[in-house]
Amino acid sequence: MDSFSLQKEIADELKNALTIGDKQTAIAITQHAIDQGARPLALVQEVIVPTLTEVGKRFEDLEIFLPELMAAGEAGNACTALLEQAILKSGSQIQNEGTVVIGTARGDIHDIGKNIVTSLLKAHGYKVIDLGKDVPSARFIDEAEANHADVIATSALMSITRAGCREVADMLRDRMMRDRYLFIVGGGSITQEYADEIGADGFSETGSGAVELVKSLLQNKRGA
Amino acid sequence: MFYNDRLLEIFQRSRNGQFMKEVDYDLRLAKRTQELVKEYNIIFDPLNVCPSDDAMADRVFQAGLQLFVDVGAYHLDTQRVIKFSREEILDALRQAPDTLYLGEGRDMVIARHHSIEDPNPPLNLTGPAGQPCSEDHYLELMISYAQEPYVHAVESGATLTYNGADIMAGTLMEVKAVQRDAATAREAIRRVGKPGMHIGDAATGMTAIGKMAASEPTRLLRPCDGRLVAQMCELKTNDDQLIRVPHLLNYGSHIINLMTPLTGGIGGGPAGVAVVSVAETLLGVVCYFATYHYLSITHIKWTNNSDPWGMYVLAMAGQAMARNSHIVWTDDPFCVNGAGTIENLYEVAGHAIIGSVCGYQQHGVGSTGGNVVDHHTGLEAGWQGEVGIAATKSGITREKANQIALELLLLYKDTFNNPKLGKPFHELYDMKTITPSQEWQDCYRRAKETLTRLGLTFSYGPYD
Repeated sequence: MDSFSLQKEIADELKNALTIGDKQTAIAITQHAIDQGARPLALVQEVIVPTLTEVGKRFEDLEIFLPELMAAGEAGNACTALLEQAILKSGSQIQNEGTVVIGTARGDIHDIGKNIVTSLLKAHGYKVIDLGKDVPSARFIDEAEANHADVIATSALMSITRAGCREVADMLRDRMMRDRYLFIVGGGSITQEYADEIGADGFSETGSGAVELVKSLLQNKRGA
Repeated sequence: MFYNDRLLEIFQRSRNGQFMKEVDYDLRLAKRTQELVKEYNIIFDPLNVCPSDDAMADRVFQAGLQLFVDVGAYHLDTQRVIKFSREEILDALRQAPDTLYLGEGRDMVIARHHSIEDPNPPLNLTGPAGQPCSEDHYLELMISYAQEPYVHAVESGATLTYNGADIMAGTLMEVKAVQRDAATAREAIRRVGKPGMHIGDAATGMTAIGKMAASEPTRLLRPCDGRLVAQMCELKTNDDQLIRVPHLLNYGSHIINLMTPLTGGIGGGPAGVAVVSVAETLLGVVCYFATYHYLSITHIKWTNNSDPWGMYVLAMAGQAMARNSHIVWTDDPFCVNGAGTIENLYEVAGHAIIGSVCGYQQHGVGSTGGNVVDHHTGLEAGWQGEVGIAATKSGITREKANQIALELLLLYKDTFNNPKLGKPFHELYDMKTITPSQEWQDCYRRAKETLTRLGLTFSYGPYD
């Protein structure tokens, strides 16, 4: 068996395991691929990212439901963690597209939308620091500083909790840190109008839109 | 069985139950739900969104009960699973009330358990129902609901500002806003001559402190009113929700179990979400001591329930509880379209017809998926009540309800991806007389003509 066919076979098996959310099989295939000398970065970029992107698209098209998306995301995270270790062992650098600190606004305990965005961002190669739900505003900034983040993302499903997004924006300005981070918002109670009002850099209604938003904002910032 | 104080037992289990990461609980719930859907042969047919299948309704109940026994409730703060035995759940269900007295004096209404194709017309417990509201016309908005002849109770909306400043949950602003909104609801029912009308909630309150701040019988919420205690998707609770229960029990208030199961969410497709909805109702019975239950099915993409998935969950979960319990249940139509559009009235009507024949009292309405500020009015809420009564009086069966709902679906399904947002309240009503505009009344009359053609017999309505 030549190296090309081995890679394709592994890629197909891993893709299948990720698609059906079979975490244990996906981990086993990934470990096998590392043992066989497969390039970790290639597995991430050529298999894991496109597979999870496809799963995300199928979810947004209502072809699959949230559990399938979550299971695929969990499997992808486990494989990526394994591959990161392999990359570090080889002495190479882990490349990520950027670091995003994400959470739901203070008082808001509804995090399904935020979790979808988190899964999709990870699938696209971003490092995501997920602070969970009902996050005090100052913690977004503290974690962004600690993790050298590029983007702070807050979500609010309930109209009464969206003020937490404004509080993060205000704190960034008051601490003279507004230019240091890109600040984006989302969730059921957020509109473009509200995002503009609080001075956010961007807003998205959908998970895939959030990924595109982060991508384009970072490109613009880095290009500037 | 609970031998002593059930709340203390729940607290203990929330501290001693099995530790589990939230994502693991979600995946376990999803897996077990799909197993039960197969095991109990629960079938979704998009052409039969309101099945007339008593045996399947019973299977949905049994599957929901088994799901709750197997996975329990998840406590978000302690990350522990609170489990209950089948006997404990059924005993709590046995103790749940079947008859409620909502409101006081001559405006009091009696809410009873509804059976399938019940000959008694449903009550309509409505209001802005947690939708985002500006403070600009809030009193007028609440009056627009309370004055409707087919409305029997009002529930506050969620206002966004207090004197122009953002309201932030968990701060003194939340308490001030809740107290203002509860007082406004009392003023609205007084202004329309129904001072004893039941008020379902003060929805601006997000936290326990906010909710409890409305307990004051003279000017704010009375014991004959109610407060929501919510579940997070799916089958999740926390201390903030549970704290409300002993307070409301002691206050003598109605406790309303709010469930928002996501179609396409952790429960999966409609068959799974019907099962999850039953389990969440049982959680409300056991953990929240609910006097009545409020099922707000939510599509994961469109945040509505007027699609075939939502209609099926409504029909099957409703029939399951109607046949296997004596509780009082309500449901709310969540529509993609906004007030001022005829599509909104068609979405409401389809939901009201299925709800009224599947064991519910009416609740609602959510317009624009609950997303756009002030794009809701009393007219569509009154319309829901009128349709529910017409469906009952016309002897609509589940089979006929299915047929009408699918015909109505054809009239609005193209709007799911491009909803018509309509107009805000202050553009649809005369703000002095609080009367719907000619344009909005015309929509009502046209919708009524359509429903009459489809088989409903109406009595005289407010805008005929």
